[in-house]
Amino acid sequence: MKPIDLNEMGAIGAIAQEAEGKWGMVIDQDLCTGCQACVAACSMENNIAFVGEEDASYGRSLQWIRIERFWEGEYPEVKMTPFQPMLCQHCHNAPCEPVCPVFAAVHSPAEDLNLQVYNRCVGTRYCANNCPYQVRVFNWRDYERPEPLNNQFNPDVTVRRRGIMEKCTFCLQRIHRAEDLAKAEGREVRDGEFTTACAQACPADAIIFGRLDDPESRVNQLSKPDRGYQMLEELGTVPRITYFKEG
Amino acid sequence: MASTTMPMEHAHSEEAHLREQHLMLDPRPRGEMNAMIMEAMHYTTWKFWVVAAILGAIVLVGLFGSWGYMIAEGLGVAGVNRPVFWGIFLVNTVFWIGISHAGTFISAILRVFKSEFRRPFTRAAELMTTFGLVQAGFSIFMHMGRVWLSYWLFPYPNQRQLWPNFHSPLSWDLLAITTYLLASTMYLFLPLIPDLAMARDRTAGGWRKNFYKVLALGFRGTEGEWTHLRNAMNIFAFAIIPVMFSVHTIVSWDFAVATRPGWNSTIFGPYFVIGALHSGMGAVIMVLAVVRATMKNMKYFIRPEHFDAIGKLMLIISMGWAYFFFNDYMVQWYGGDKWTEALLHWHEAGPMGWMWFLMLIVNVAIPWLVLWNKRWRSNPWIVFVVGLLINVGMYLERYIIIPISLTINRMPFTWRMYEPGIEIPLSIGTLAFFILLYMIASKLIPLVPVWEVQEGQMAHSMKKFGRETVVTVSELE
Amino acid sequence: MSKKISRRDFLKLAGMGAATGAALTGCGPASRYVVREPYTQMPEYTFNGQSTYFATTCRECPAGCGLVVRTYQGRALKTEGNPAHPVNQGKTCARGQATLHGLYNPDRVTDPVSQSTRGSRDFSDMDWDAAVQVVADALSNTEPAAIAFLLGPAPDHLFDLVSDLTGAIGAPAPVRYGALSMFEARATLIQATESMLGESRLPVFDLANAGVTFSFGANFLETWLSPVAYTRGYSRMRKQEKRGYLVQFEPRMSQTAAKADEWIPLKSGTEGMVALAIGRLSAEVRGAALPRAFVDVDVAGVAEESGVPVETLLHLAELLAGAERPLAIPGGAALSHINGMATGEAVLALNAMAGNFGQPGGVFLSPVPPNVDEYHHPASLQEMGAFVEQMKAGDIQVLLVHGVNPLFELPNALGFEDAMKSVPLVISFATFPDETALQSDYIFPDHHGLESWGYQRIAAGTDRSTLSGAQPVVVPFYNTRATADVLLAAFAEVGGELAAALPFADEVAFMQDKLLPLVENKDANFNAAEINTFFAYFQQLGGWWGNQIAFTAPAQNTLNNAMTVAAPEFEGEGEFVLLPFVSPVLAESGANKPWLQEVPDPTTTVMWNSWVEINPDVGHELGIENDDVVRIVSEAGAVEVSVYLYPAIRPDTIAIPFGQGHTAYGRYAEGRGVNPLDLLGLKFNEAGDLAYASMRVRIEKTGRKRELARLESKIGVYGEGLGEEH
Repeated sequence: MKPIDLNEMGAIGAIAQEAEGKWGMVIDQDLCTGCQACVAACSMENNIAFVGEEDASYGRSLQWIRIERFWEGEYPEVKMTPFQPMLCQHCHNAPCEPVCPVFAAVHSPAEDLNLQVYNRCVGTRYCANNCPYQVRVFNWRDYERPEPLNNQFNPDVTVRRRGIMEKCTFCLQRIHRAEDLAKAEGREVRDGEFTTACAQACPADAIIFGRLDDPESRVNQLSKPDRGYQMLEELGTVPRITYFKEG
Repeated sequence: MASTTMPMEHAHSEEAHLREQHLMLDPRPRGEMNAMIMEAMHYTTWKFWVVAAILGAIVLVGLFGSWGYMIAEGLGVAGVNRPVFWGIFLVNTVFWIGISHAGTFISAILRVFKSEFRRPFTRAAELMTTFGLVQAGFSIFMHMGRVWLSYWLFPYPNQRQLWPNFHSPLSWDLLAITTYLLASTMYLFLPLIPDLAMARDRTAGGWRKNFYKVLALGFRGTEGEWTHLRNAMNIFAFAIIPVMFSVHTIVSWDFAVATRPGWNSTIFGPYFVIGALHSGMGAVIMVLAVVRATMKNMKYFIRPEHFDAIGKLMLIISMGWAYFFFNDYMVQWYGGDKWTEALLHWHEAGPMGWMWFLMLIVNVAIPWLVLWNKRWRSNPWIVFVVGLLINVGMYLERYIIIPISLTINRMPFTWRMYEPGIEIPLSIGTLAFFILLYMIASKLIPLVPVWEVQEGQMAHSMKKFGRETVVTVSELE
Repeated sequence: MSKKISRRDFLKLAGMGAATGAALTGCGPASRYVVREPYTQMPEYTFNGQSTYFATTCRECPAGCGLVVRTYQGRALKTEGNPAHPVNQGKTCARGQATLHGLYNPDRVTDPVSQSTRGSRDFSDMDWDAAVQVVADALSNTEPAAIAFLLGPAPDHLFDLVSDLTGAIGAPAPVRYGALSMFEARATLIQATESMLGESRLPVFDLANAGVTFSFGANFLETWLSPVAYTRGYSRMRKQEKRGYLVQFEPRMSQTAAKADEWIPLKSGTEGMVALAIGRLSAEVRGAALPRAFVDVDVAGVAEESGVPVETLLHLAELLAGAERPLAIPGGAALSHINGMATGEAVLALNAMAGNFGQPGGVFLSPVPPNVDEYHHPASLQEMGAFVEQMKAGDIQVLLVHGVNPLFELPNALGFEDAMKSVPLVISFATFPDETALQSDYIFPDHHGLESWGYQRIAAGTDRSTLSGAQPVVVPFYNTRATADVLLAAFAEVGGELAAALPFADEVAFMQDKLLPLVENKDANFNAAEINTFFAYFQQLGGWWGNQIAFTAPAQNTLNNAMTVAAPEFEGEGEFVLLPFVSPVLAESGANKPWLQEVPDPTTTVMWNSWVEINPDVGHELGIENDDVVRIVSEAGAVEVSVYLYPAIRPDTIAIPFGQGHTAYGRYAEGRGVNPLDLLGLKFNEAGDLAYASMRVRIEKTGRKRELARLESKIGVYGEGLGEEH
């Protein structure tokens, strides 16, 4: 990203430029069937531990992505609100970042993503409190994965121990793999060359991941201004995920 | 230094009454007073040992045992979850920092304003500051997920040139609390020097002699030493007041700068400061009541007049707290933000709504109903109960601000309640540790700054103008 | 590939095709001759820092989605969808993702074992030679008519082998069963298709191009037929220029109904009449001549019986009449009812009236899978009942079970467990110590699906003739052996004439033999000059499929026969009708995978347990709250389960998911939740499917509470504790 010259574009333009970002996602709630394939795929890709019934019922499950739904009306006119996958929004102005006393929650200037540096985290959990989307999860214990389940671990992703905050990384390991490959071949990463585990699994194609800074990319081509919105955009966090309303 | 003591032989019934009421007008010979203090330190009954042993056991099991278990198992044994990522540990932290407030407040503010009634209990209050901060420190480290790496919070030179993030309120907190702990410890220590010297001179031998010898730093009471001491104390008394305000303001910023409904409030700084004073005052009065009742010779030093004076302060602080509470509530409610509205509704009508009402009753209604009455507020046990209730109320206030408010966020799908687990033994452990430290201190150092009492008594005199007895105070310095 | 393939050949093959940015490899560990080696002595095909990707077929359900499995240093790390595969086109469901938790599950059967007494869990290890001998003895010392094979819906190559085997020795053909086909009422669907479309095949509904879709209980986004394929269809249906419209008719709002624009909560079993009533009204709205089929329909009577008001029926009829490409899908519980056949015909009649047979957005017949003449549909419950009767009568001396867990997947009332006692020898080929395996004399564990060879014919979900290929993506983790290989070895052991009937060295040789007819077919995703190259491609690409859309368009039906749907009949006593439904996440075999247990149910967000869904108003009336443990009692049995007050279920219906309630099957499944099949009776419809949604039950309070692990917040979603319910 080139530096922003306020004289050239004015403050509003600067915000627009800031809002562009590098990696982004589009989630179409009209298509999402709530099937949870993304949840399972994410857990498999990112070595997420399972916590068991007791902790799961106490709000301690570790999934990085969850599918929300509410109810409207009463029987028989009852409706389920559109399924809404919630994951780290990779805000440009992320509230989680400044509050971490040890720089475990940091912004990647190169990728414009929020990173969580697991081995730096000391577990103050301030970032999770300050996250308006409540998408950060904490390792309350060392969750056991009995032998030989550990054979399935993805070697590209750190396994987290107790006392550490974690969250969606937009499958950073995949981004890096693609970037390394592109660099070796002397080119830019192409849109659609790779995708995140959740988008890859999604049977309804409701999750699309790609480059925001490429006007030809699928995420930009898909944008439907009349249906698109961002989560809690009034907070000024500049999220990188755009949701499409139902219908 | 002019001696203006009234000749005793002209004692009049009104004078006797005044003398009985006011410590400052009831002087005793220095030697006798020193002996009283020494006796209070040395006189130990079996009850003391029993209580100390029980508290020690609680500290060992409840505090260190449970903490070790929690470190080994992870925070899963506590009650924290999503979205209540912060629980009782931070409640305790804020609570103990609040307690530690009053010590310095009483001592420094009253010293700066030259309030004479402060003299016998500044030490007791300052000890509260230090010991309270110790508990706050324990609590904040308990809260951490990986406490064994807590040194990463400190700015220290390291190979990878990693620094703490000074944008984080937690870093500010750490600096503020550390500064406060150092400053308040020094502020505790300075006025202690003459008393330690006195104890050194009145101790025959043994480890106590050495203990006092080392700590008294060779103080002999020369004019030069007194001048230096007074200067230093003056500087500290003035300097520590902004530090004290800053600490609790910064603690409040942990919450106020967060993007959370209910927390994101500009008035949290002063609201937390007054809340801290509220609980701290309650704690001071409880300590004084207990010290007066359990330690030898203390009825002479700590009199109903002191409870009366602190009671008035408590009443005023309670009013101030109510003012800030109302201000905070009013602005939040008027804002009409839907999440804040949900939060306020949750506070009052949620399953823990009783806490909210109980908080208002014990923090406002009871002090207002009781403390306006001079007879009641002069009674140590009545104000003890009021102080206890205020502390319960202030604990509830923090409990409401932290775990109960954390239930409500902008993602209703995640709202969940908090049920404390191992926090309970740990909280009891810190409380026991606080009391235990106090008990140990009461046997090692003079709980009453005897030289300050003597100094005050020297400055006070009663004069007769016609039939009126008039109390005069002379400027000493 | 009966000869050892050289590494040079392997590399040549591996270089032939590249998909998903990484080479899909033909052989590697898939080669039968690669052995497990320590990491210090890694096989050539692994490179440090490089993953190897193998195409195979998902075995979590019979839909047969293509997978590409990422492996690294001999370990399987992640399953992805095979982008080239016609069923799932690169996508997977949650179960497919979690299949690795089956592969690396700590509770697998690691060695061939014999059990001292059935159910004792007192196992002694055997070696495979002894195991093969046991099978050989069983095959040679038993009257062929008394040998019974009970197979699951997958894999097909084993089914073909066993069919050939039983044919050779003169034993009865293998019986296939899977609980999903029971819940789909597949037999009824096929028979209704035969009656209305003229062929005994599975129909395919072109959801992707449909304008207005009426789904009568077909939960195609969950487990129905081929959920990933239908979810893709759903997604395309919504993405059409004019957004497709979906109406779901069922007594309980399923995940599919949650995505519908309208949910019509009709009385269980009245779907058929409602379809007829809508058909009649729709014809009237259009002013067309009333087809003979709808003449006898009494709309007011239907409204009364079904609980759907006449205005709603009229509104739906107008919707259908005005639709550009209307589509009606019959499925699930609707078809299982005693009137299921008529319901299926009535729903298909709506399509006939719209004239959408063979039209875009309409109804087709599924393509004929390659190398098979007919569709071997799984046994209906009535057929399973007959099988059980045979067992009870002592007609079966040897029972060999593979790929199915009848003790869990069949209703208790059928008495399979009792019947097993009459079978002197039961051999299980289960990978997991499931309920049936524990009631067997021997467990000769098959490989996990990801360690296995095989192929699967795609019965539904593709537009072309498809044979999905499976190959091992890792070397077997334990001392397991392919059941096909065990049977072939046993056959060789028996020797003589019989051995000559199946002269295959191993299952790969058998598969290659079965693939021979396809080798030179030019109209497919690949072809080759000879079988070895063909087979390498088959492995590498994840299967064989035609290039052409091979849907068959059925003849139009003129609806000349009057149709009626009888009122549903219910069994037993009680206020409520029980609606068992398949857990979309766990389905019939997912409960042993910890990550699937922790994946929240899409509609209730419950994890790790079973629940019963009760309408909140009914709950309040009965004084039942969330998490209260209640006893659900039917004629056939009783279960105790925690309550979930579900806002979108008819007050006269309660629903329990199927998937939990295992009494074995590993640490994550055992003793968790309840099995609603325990409550079912034995009422069959004309097609022989079990009328599983027709049992009346009553609710008894137990006074206990057991909290369900929900992802959702009861406070935020239901307003619990806020003094108001919303």
